[in-house]
Amino acid sequence: MQRDIRLDLAEDAWQGRFQAMGSPCEVVSEARKRGDALEITSLVAAEAWRIENKFSRYLDGNIVDRINSAAGRPVEVDDETADLLDFAVTLYRLSEHRFDITSGVLRRVWRFDGTDQVPEPENVREVLQRVGWHRVDWQRPVLTMPHGMEIDVGGIGKEYAVDRCAGLVKELHGDPCLVNFGGDLVATRAPGRRRSWKVAIEGDVTAAPDRIIELKQGALATSGDARRFLLKHGVRYSHILDPTTGWPIPDAPRSITIAADSCVEAGMISTLAMLKGVAAEHFLKAQNVVFWCRR
Amino acid sequence: MSRKENRSISAALAAATCTLLGSGVPAPVDAQEEPLWDFNTSLLYYGEDDDRVKDYSVSAIARRMFVDDRYLTLGLTVDGLTGATPSGAIRQDVPQTFTRPSGNAAYTVPAGVLPLDDTFKDTRVALSAGWQQPVGETSLINVGASASKEYDYTHFGVNAKFARDFNQRNTTLSAGFAYSFDSLDPVGGAPTPLTPMLDVGDTSNRTGNPDKDVLDIIFGVTQVISRNLVVQANYSYSMSDGYLTDPYKVLSLVDASGDTLPQTLTPGPSHQYLFESRPDERTKHSIYGQAKYFMNGKVLDASYRYMTDDWEIDSHTVDLHYRIPFGADSYFEPHLRFYTQSEAEFYQLSIPDSQPLPSFASADYRLGDFDAITAGLKYGWRTRNDNEMSVRVEAYRQTGSVPAGQIIGNQAGRDNYPDLNAIIVQVGYRF
Repeated sequence: MQRDIRLDLAEDAWQGRFQAMGSPCEVVSEARKRGDALEITSLVAAEAWRIENKFSRYLDGNIVDRINSAAGRPVEVDDETADLLDFAVTLYRLSEHRFDITSGVLRRVWRFDGTDQVPEPENVREVLQRVGWHRVDWQRPVLTMPHGMEIDVGGIGKEYAVDRCAGLVKELHGDPCLVNFGGDLVATRAPGRRRSWKVAIEGDVTAAPDRIIELKQGALATSGDARRFLLKHGVRYSHILDPTTGWPIPDAPRSITIAADSCVEAGMISTLAMLKGVAAEHFLKAQNVVFWCRR
Repeated sequence: MSRKENRSISAALAAATCTLLGSGVPAPVDAQEEPLWDFNTSLLYYGEDDDRVKDYSVSAIARRMFVDDRYLTLGLTVDGLTGATPSGAIRQDVPQTFTRPSGNAAYTVPAGVLPLDDTFKDTRVALSAGWQQPVGETSLINVGASASKEYDYTHFGVNAKFARDFNQRNTTLSAGFAYSFDSLDPVGGAPTPLTPMLDVGDTSNRTGNPDKDVLDIIFGVTQVISRNLVVQANYSYSMSDGYLTDPYKVLSLVDASGDTLPQTLTPGPSHQYLFESRPDERTKHSIYGQAKYFMNGKVLDASYRYMTDDWEIDSHTVDLHYRIPFGADSYFEPHLRFYTQSEAEFYQLSIPDSQPLPSFASADYRLGDFDAITAGLKYGWRTRNDNEMSVRVEAYRQTGSVPAGQIIGNQAGRDNYPDLNAIIVQVGYRF
């Protein structure tokens, strides 16, 4: 895994870059000295990598791996994991069971690569037997999950990491800073040298950004399937799967960008809205949040 | 689900997030889409050589963004035009005296010099307003209005366009129209076509204030071919109706030697000139194709237009722009444009007195057979306060010819088509 940091002076701000959680990550800071910028970037990268190591479902030996390979035996988890699981339970309830951290196994039959490889309904039904938080026994701090099921906290992890990192930067430094992990981001403060942080939301056809958001403070998160989808007989299958049916949510927007106080809230509201399918905009309007939705 | 239940979702989520992050209430978010207003301003200088037309133009376009991708656009342009423009009369080996368009005075052009009418001085003010908004999820509508005023010309126009996306937004079909109603108030009144230029003070062939209207209809298709390539094709139809003649243009009435017939009026015209005459209808068809190709920040924009009309002018235009990033915040954009047109069927260099008068005749060089090339370079950069600045410099060269069959006697030895060179300098600032 690539574990190095690059630091460049871009115009009037330091841009620290590294790779984590499958995304390009950047930390833009207005630190006065290169050393300060490096310290901020190193701190953020270390925290991002810590969270990735601990919760990535691709790595052996971490807590997620221990849970997924427990084969029906109870697993006692640490506080941070327990907090994430509690949070996932809240989302499970708020989404009427459509946000489900046990739904990851559906990806064995659904591969969203832009092709027409839509799975057979019987294969989907078979995998669905191993999906459903209601089958899990969670008595903090002990989790007991039937054999063959898996959890994946990837749907929360990146936003969680962004908020954690922004919090650490705030404690360390007063300088304005933007923490951006693959488009999910937090600005700790309004930049001093310009009016706002300008965040371009990428269009899906050309590389040109189709929307520029001026962020002074707070978080932006985007859910979308600009590139992750299947296309068969003219039907576009979005990558947002409904774990109660095993099939993609019909009529989900192409992308939803949310502005919220924290990246976790922004990310979760956009995910919950995606899960509403055709009613996404209706749901968002009722939430009283700042949003940009593309169909 | 009711609105109240929905609200409780975001409240529950906020509470759960606080627990997860173990922090207090975070600072409230402050985000908005880019400024509600943006302004695109430019200063333009257009200068033709040989003391011909010069135009200093200032323009500003203000755009106000509203929620749900709706925009209001307001535009203002002020042009200051000075200089002289070819009157249509041919060169002579002797000085020529003309009555000014106002009919109040005369001016003299030296022997061998192309007659230019130097009363060409004007200020034009143009205003426009447009509104754009989505209709449903896949369509977009634009409506607009425009007006402009200069001392001898008033324009009012309305336009509308509807576009709809198909095929996962990869295809856009559009249809639009523009209608304009223009009225002319020529200095001294509009002359009756093909009547002679009269002596100073004689306004007996001047009539009232003519007008014209123009209807344009356009159909277009835009297709996304790949992530890098977008192509567009348009067909447009334009129908002009009314007074299409240029009230200031004349033709020389010549004898068999090709020289303009002299007359003895004082101080008025030294020779015989007839005011031009054009049909009162013109129908144009044009086909336009454009491709935009994106390559790692570089953008090639190539287009071609073919236009044909019932005045028998056919034209071809090839336009190429190539945008090359230069560093992170600036770019160069070379521009090349080639244009060629055939002459209008009633274009003629002069009118022979031996033949009956035609119904329509014009010696306006813009209706002649000519080629033009524009070559330019634009440099644009992002300023320290995050705005955009650009400078564009272009050279324009137009060369034409008069059909050999129209050249009579002594005209053969003269430079009959007034070639044109111009420089365009534009400074733009967007904020």
